Amino acid sequence: MDINREGILPVEEEELKRNVFTTTLENVKAWARSNSLWPMTFGLACCAIEMMGTGAAHYDLDRFGSFFRASPRQSDVMIVAGTVTKKMGPLLRRLYDQMPEPKWVISMGSCATAGGPYVKSYSVIKGVDQIVPVDVYIPGCPPNPAALIYGINKLQEKIRYEARTGRKVTDR
Amino acid sequence: MKGLLKGMGVTLKTMTKKKVTHKYPDEPIRMPDRFRGIQHFDPEKCIVCNQCVRVCPTDCISLTGRKHPDPGKRGKIIDTYDINFEICILCDLCTEVCPTEAVVMTRNFELATYTRDDLYKNLEWLHENDSGIRSENNLNARGVKK
Repeated sequence: MDINREGILPVEEEELKRNVFTTTLENVKAWARSNSLWPMTFGLACCAIEMMGTGAAHYDLDRFGSFFRASPRQSDVMIVAGTVTKKMGPLLRRLYDQMPEPKWVISMGSCATAGGPYVKSYSVIKGVDQIVPVDVYIPGCPPNPAALIYGINKLQEKIRYEARTGRKVTDR
Repeated sequence: MKGLLKGMGVTLKTMTKKKVTHKYPDEPIRMPDRFRGIQHFDPEKCIVCNQCVRVCPTDCISLTGRKHPDPGKRGKIIDTYDINFEICILCDLCTEVCPTEAVVMTRNFELATYTRDDLYKNLEWLHENDSGIRSENNLNARGVKK
Protein backbone atom coordinates (compact mmCIF):
# COMPACT_ATOMS: atom_id res chain seq x y z
CA MET A 1 0.00 0.00 0.00
CA ASP A 2 1.32 3.39 -0.99
CA ILE A 3 0.76 6.49 1.05
CA ASN A 4 0.59 9.98 -0.31
CA ARG A 5 4.03 11.42 0.34
CA GLU A 6 3.32 14.86 -1.16
CA GLY A 7 3.96 17.71 1.17
CA ILE A 8 6.13 15.64 3.49
CA LEU A 9 9.65 16.98 3.80
CA PRO A 10 12.55 14.51 3.76
CA VAL A 11 13.34 15.47 7.35
CA GLU A 12 9.80 14.72 8.37
CA GLU A 13 9.89 11.42 6.52
CA GLU A 14 12.98 10.38 8.45
CA GLU A 15 11.18 11.36 11.64
CA LEU A 16 8.17 9.25 10.62
CA LYS A 17 10.36 6.24 9.86
CA ARG A 18 11.85 6.48 13.31
CA ASN A 19 8.58 6.91 15.18
CA VAL A 20 5.83 5.10 13.29
CA PHE A 21 5.98 1.38 12.77
CA THR A 22 3.41 -0.94 11.31
CA THR A 23 2.58 -4.55 11.99
CA THR A 24 -0.17 -7.03 11.35
CA LEU A 25 -3.05 -7.74 13.68
CA GLU A 26 -1.88 -11.35 13.95
CA ASN A 27 1.48 -10.24 15.27
CA VAL A 28 -0.12 -7.96 17.83
CA LYS A 29 -2.40 -10.78 18.94
CA ALA A 30 0.54 -13.16 19.25
CA TRP A 31 2.53 -10.57 21.19
CA ALA A 32 -0.36 -10.08 23.61
CA ARG A 33 -1.07 -13.79 23.95
CA SER A 34 2.53 -14.82 24.42
CA ASN A 35 3.03 -12.26 27.15
CA SER A 36 -0.03 -13.24 29.14
CA LEU A 37 0.12 -17.04 29.15
CA TRP A 38 -2.05 -18.06 32.05
CA PRO A 39 -1.25 -21.64 32.93
CA MET A 40 -3.67 -24.02 34.50
CA THR A 41 -2.40 -25.68 37.63
CA PHE A 42 -2.33 -29.27 36.55
CA GLY A 43 0.05 -30.76 39.08
CA LEU A 44 -0.08 -34.53 39.24
CA ALA A 45 3.21 -35.53 40.87
CA CYS A 46 6.58 -34.24 42.01
CA CYS A 47 6.87 -32.00 38.90
CA ALA A 48 4.10 -29.93 40.47
CA ILE A 49 6.46 -29.04 43.31
CA GLU A 50 8.91 -27.61 40.79
CA MET A 51 6.03 -25.84 39.06
CA MET A 52 5.07 -24.24 42.39
CA GLY A 53 8.71 -23.30 42.89
CA THR A 54 8.68 -21.60 39.50
CA GLY A 55 5.74 -19.51 40.64
CA ALA A 56 7.41 -18.57 43.90
CA ALA A 57 9.80 -15.73 44.69
CA HIS A 58 13.10 -17.12 43.44
CA TYR A 59 12.01 -17.79 39.88
CA ASP A 60 8.83 -15.71 39.76
CA LEU A 61 6.76 -16.76 36.77
CA ASP A 62 4.77 -13.51 37.08
CA ARG A 63 7.66 -11.78 35.32
CA PHE A 64 6.48 -13.38 32.07
CA GLY A 65 2.83 -12.52 32.63
CA SER A 66 1.99 -16.06 33.68
CA PHE A 67 -0.42 -16.32 36.56
CA PHE A 68 -1.64 -19.71 37.68
CA ARG A 69 -5.38 -20.10 37.36
CA ALA A 70 -7.36 -22.78 39.14
CA SER A 71 -10.00 -23.01 36.44
CA PRO A 72 -9.65 -24.26 32.85
CA ARG A 73 -12.09 -21.60 31.68
CA GLN A 74 -9.62 -18.85 32.54
CA SER A 75 -6.40 -20.42 31.31
CA ASP A 76 -4.49 -20.44 28.02
CA VAL A 77 -1.86 -23.09 28.60
CA MET A 78 -2.03 -26.38 30.41
CA ILE A 79 1.23 -27.42 32.07
CA VAL A 80 0.85 -31.17 32.50
CA ALA A 81 3.24 -31.69 35.39
CA GLY A 82 3.48 -35.30 36.39
CA THR A 83 2.42 -38.86 35.73
CA VAL A 84 -0.81 -39.18 33.78
CA THR A 85 -2.46 -42.47 34.69
CA LYS A 86 -5.08 -44.14 32.52
CA LYS A 87 -7.65 -43.18 35.15
CA MET A 88 -6.63 -39.51 34.88
CA GLY A 89 -6.51 -39.47 31.06
CA PRO A 90 -10.24 -38.78 30.37
CA LEU A 91 -10.28 -36.07 33.01
CA LEU A 92 -7.23 -34.41 31.46
CA ARG A 93 -8.95 -34.46 28.08
CA ARG A 94 -12.12 -32.98 29.56
CA LEU A 95 -10.19 -30.15 31.22
CA TYR A 96 -8.39 -29.50 27.93
CA ASP A 97 -11.73 -29.35 26.11
CA GLN A 98 -13.04 -26.88 28.68
CA MET A 99 -10.20 -24.44 28.01
CA PRO A 100 -11.10 -21.61 25.61
CA GLU A 101 -9.24 -21.25 22.31
CA PRO A 102 -6.41 -20.45 21.70
CA LYS A 103 -4.87 -23.04 23.97
CA TRP A 104 -1.51 -24.71 24.32
CA VAL A 105 -0.09 -27.63 26.24
CA ILE A 106 3.32 -27.98 27.85
CA SER A 107 4.37 -31.49 28.77
CA MET A 108 6.61 -31.12 31.79
CA GLY A 109 8.87 -33.94 32.86
CA SER A 110 9.65 -37.43 31.67
CA CYS A 111 6.37 -38.90 32.93
CA ALA A 112 4.12 -36.60 30.94
CA THR A 113 6.39 -36.80 27.88
CA ALA A 114 6.83 -40.55 27.59
CA GLY A 115 6.01 -42.32 30.82
CA GLY A 116 9.39 -41.76 32.45
CA PRO A 117 10.18 -44.29 35.18
CA TYR A 118 6.73 -45.83 34.70
CA VAL A 119 7.40 -46.66 31.07
CA LYS A 120 6.80 -50.36 31.73
CA SER A 121 3.74 -49.80 33.90
CA TYR A 122 0.29 -51.09 32.98
CA SER A 123 -1.59 -48.09 34.32
CA VAL A 124 0.31 -45.06 33.01
CA ILE A 125 -0.26 -43.24 29.72
CA LYS A 126 3.07 -43.25 27.87
CA GLY A 127 3.07 -39.69 26.72
CA VAL A 128 0.36 -37.13 27.23
CA ASP A 129 0.44 -36.42 23.48
CA GLN A 130 -1.73 -39.50 23.02
CA ILE A 131 -4.70 -37.58 24.40
CA VAL A 132 -3.96 -33.86 23.89
CA PRO A 133 -1.76 -32.04 21.34
CA VAL A 134 1.46 -30.98 23.02
CA ASP A 135 3.43 -27.89 21.97
CA VAL A 136 6.56 -28.04 24.12
CA TYR A 137 8.19 -31.03 25.76
CA ILE A 138 10.44 -30.44 28.76
CA PRO A 139 12.57 -33.46 29.70
CA GLY A 140 13.92 -33.98 33.20
CA CYS A 141 12.87 -35.81 36.27
CA PRO A 142 11.71 -33.35 37.44
CA PRO A 143 12.87 -30.38 35.32
CA ASN A 144 14.15 -27.63 37.58
CA PRO A 145 12.28 -24.30 37.61
CA ALA A 146 14.76 -22.71 35.20
CA ALA A 147 14.10 -25.50 32.70
CA LEU A 148 10.37 -24.82 32.98
CA ILE A 149 10.99 -21.13 32.36
CA TYR A 150 13.06 -22.11 29.32
CA GLY A 151 10.16 -24.22 28.08
CA ILE A 152 7.66 -21.40 28.60
CA ASN A 153 9.97 -19.06 26.68
CA LYS A 154 10.12 -21.64 23.88
CA LEU A 155 6.32 -21.67 23.81
CA GLN A 156 6.21 -17.86 23.62
CA GLU A 157 8.65 -18.02 20.71
CA LYS A 158 6.47 -20.61 19.02
CA ILE A 159 3.33 -18.48 19.39
CA ARG A 160 5.07 -15.48 17.80
CA TYR A 161 6.59 -17.65 15.07
CA GLU A 162 3.22 -19.18 14.23
CA ALA A 163 1.66 -15.73 13.97
CA ARG A 164 4.22 -14.84 11.30
CA THR A 165 4.09 -18.06 9.33
CA GLY A 166 0.73 -19.62 10.10
CA ARG A 167 -0.09 -22.46 12.45
CA LYS A 168 1.24 -25.71 11.09
CA VAL A 169 3.27 -28.70 12.08
CA THR A 170 6.94 -27.76 12.26
CA ASP A 171 10.04 -29.62 13.29
CA ARG A 172 11.69 -26.53 14.71
CA MET B 1 -0.01 0.51 67.12
CA LYS B 2 2.95 -1.53 68.27
CA GLY B 3 2.01 -4.25 65.79
CA LEU B 4 1.87 -1.72 62.94
CA LEU B 5 5.33 -0.41 63.78
CA LYS B 6 6.65 -3.95 63.95
CA GLY B 7 5.20 -4.73 60.54
CA MET B 8 6.56 -1.55 58.99
CA GLY B 9 9.94 -2.37 60.50
CA VAL B 10 9.98 -5.69 58.68
CA THR B 11 8.95 -3.95 55.47
CA LEU B 12 11.72 -1.36 55.74
CA LYS B 13 14.29 -4.01 56.57
CA THR B 14 13.28 -6.07 53.54
CA MET B 15 13.46 -3.04 51.25
CA THR B 16 17.20 -2.72 51.74
CA LYS B 17 17.89 -6.42 51.25
CA LYS B 18 19.09 -7.94 47.98
CA LYS B 19 16.34 -9.28 45.73
CA VAL B 20 16.08 -13.06 45.69
CA THR B 21 14.61 -13.43 42.20
CA HIS B 22 16.95 -14.88 39.57
CA LYS B 23 16.97 -12.93 36.31
CA TYR B 24 17.06 -16.27 34.56
CA PRO B 25 16.48 -15.85 30.82
CA ASP B 26 18.46 -12.59 30.79
CA GLU B 27 21.31 -13.87 32.92
CA PRO B 28 22.43 -17.51 32.72
CA ILE B 29 21.90 -19.47 35.89
CA ARG B 30 24.71 -21.68 37.13
CA MET B 31 23.53 -24.92 38.61
CA PRO B 32 25.42 -26.51 41.50
CA ASP B 33 28.21 -28.92 40.72
CA ARG B 34 26.25 -31.98 41.79
CA PHE B 35 23.32 -31.03 39.55
CA ARG B 36 22.16 -33.79 37.21
CA GLY B 37 21.72 -32.40 33.75
CA ILE B 38 22.15 -34.26 30.48
CA GLN B 39 25.06 -36.66 30.07
CA HIS B 40 28.30 -36.04 28.22
CA PHE B 41 29.81 -39.01 26.41
CA ASP B 42 33.41 -39.57 25.37
CA PRO B 43 33.66 -42.33 22.74
CA GLU B 44 37.42 -42.65 23.15
CA LYS B 45 37.12 -43.73 26.78
CA CYS B 46 34.25 -46.15 26.31
CA ILE B 47 35.24 -49.82 26.48
CA VAL B 48 31.78 -51.16 25.51
CA CYS B 49 31.30 -52.96 28.82
CA ASN B 50 27.52 -52.53 28.56
CA GLN B 51 27.20 -51.78 32.27
CA CYS B 52 25.31 -48.51 31.79
CA VAL B 53 22.76 -50.26 29.59
CA ARG B 54 22.21 -52.96 32.19
CA VAL B 55 21.97 -50.62 35.16
CA CYS B 56 19.60 -48.12 33.54
CA PRO B 57 16.26 -48.45 35.35
CA THR B 58 14.22 -47.30 32.37
CA ASP B 59 16.34 -48.97 29.66
CA CYS B 60 16.83 -45.67 27.89
CA ILE B 61 20.47 -46.29 26.86
CA SER B 62 21.31 -48.45 23.86
CA LEU B 63 24.78 -48.99 22.43
CA THR B 64 26.57 -51.10 19.88
CA GLY B 65 30.28 -51.82 19.62
CA ARG B 66 32.60 -53.74 17.39
CA LYS B 67 35.99 -55.40 17.69
CA HIS B 68 39.01 -53.15 17.70
CA PRO B 69 40.06 -52.57 14.02
CA ASP B 70 43.71 -53.03 14.97
CA PRO B 71 44.09 -56.86 15.23
CA GLY B 72 46.93 -56.55 17.72
CA LYS B 73 44.76 -54.80 20.30
CA ARG B 74 42.24 -56.42 22.56
CA GLY B 75 38.86 -55.03 23.47
CA LYS B 76 36.10 -53.24 21.63
CA ILE B 77 35.32 -49.76 20.39
CA ILE B 78 31.99 -47.98 20.44
CA ASP B 79 29.87 -47.71 17.27
CA THR B 80 26.64 -46.09 18.39
CA TYR B 81 25.51 -44.74 21.73
CA ASP B 82 21.97 -43.46 22.07
CA ILE B 83 20.14 -42.09 25.08
CA ASN B 84 16.39 -41.84 24.83
CA PHE B 85 16.14 -38.69 26.90
CA GLU B 86 12.33 -38.87 26.88
CA ILE B 87 12.40 -41.49 29.60
CA CYS B 88 15.79 -40.77 31.17
CA ILE B 89 15.11 -40.02 34.82
CA LEU B 90 18.60 -38.61 35.49
CA CYS B 91 19.24 -41.10 38.27
CA ASP B 92 23.03 -40.82 37.72
CA LEU B 93 23.46 -44.62 37.85
CA CYS B 94 25.05 -44.80 34.38
CA THR B 95 27.75 -42.35 35.37
CA GLU B 96 28.32 -44.05 38.71
CA VAL B 97 28.73 -47.47 37.17
CA CYS B 98 30.96 -46.40 34.29
CA PRO B 99 34.48 -47.76 35.00
CA THR B 100 36.28 -45.34 32.66
CA GLU B 101 34.11 -42.25 33.20
CA ALA B 102 33.16 -42.25 29.55
CA VAL B 103 29.67 -41.09 30.42
CA VAL B 104 29.54 -38.18 32.87
CA MET B 105 26.93 -35.72 34.07
CA THR B 106 26.82 -32.07 33.00
CA ARG B 107 24.79 -29.26 34.48
CA ASN B 108 23.01 -28.35 31.24
CA PHE B 109 19.25 -28.27 31.60
CA GLU B 110 17.99 -26.19 28.67
CA LEU B 111 16.50 -29.09 26.76
CA ALA B 112 12.88 -28.19 26.01
CA THR B 113 11.89 -29.12 22.43
CA TYR B 114 8.92 -28.91 20.12
CA THR B 115 9.04 -32.57 19.11
CA ARG B 116 9.71 -35.78 20.94
CA ASP B 117 12.13 -36.86 18.21
CA ASP B 118 14.64 -34.24 19.34
CA LEU B 119 14.89 -35.94 22.71
CA TYR B 120 16.67 -38.96 21.20
CA LYS B 121 20.30 -38.04 21.77
CA ASN B 122 22.94 -39.86 19.73
CA LEU B 123 26.68 -40.25 20.14
CA GLU B 124 27.59 -37.07 18.26
CA TRP B 125 25.19 -34.92 20.23
CA LEU B 126 26.31 -36.33 23.56
CA HIS B 127 29.96 -35.90 22.63
CA GLU B 128 29.44 -32.26 21.66
CA ASN B 129 27.61 -31.64 24.92
CA ASP B 130 30.90 -30.95 26.67
CA SER B 131 30.18 -27.83 28.72
CA GLY B 132 29.52 -27.75 32.42
CA ILE B 133 30.83 -31.22 33.19
CA ARG B 134 30.86 -32.12 36.86
CA SER B 135 34.25 -31.07 38.21
CA GLU B 136 35.11 -34.37 39.89
CA ASN B 137 34.81 -36.07 36.50
CA ASN B 138 36.53 -33.25 34.67
CA LEU B 139 39.92 -33.67 36.37
CA ASN B 140 41.40 -36.13 33.93
CA ALA B 141 39.16 -35.37 30.97
CA ARG B 142 41.23 -34.74 27.88
CA GLY B 143 40.35 -32.11 25.28
CA VAL B 144 37.28 -31.03 27.18
CA LYS B 145 36.31 -27.45 27.83
CA LYS B 146 35.52 -26.72 31.42
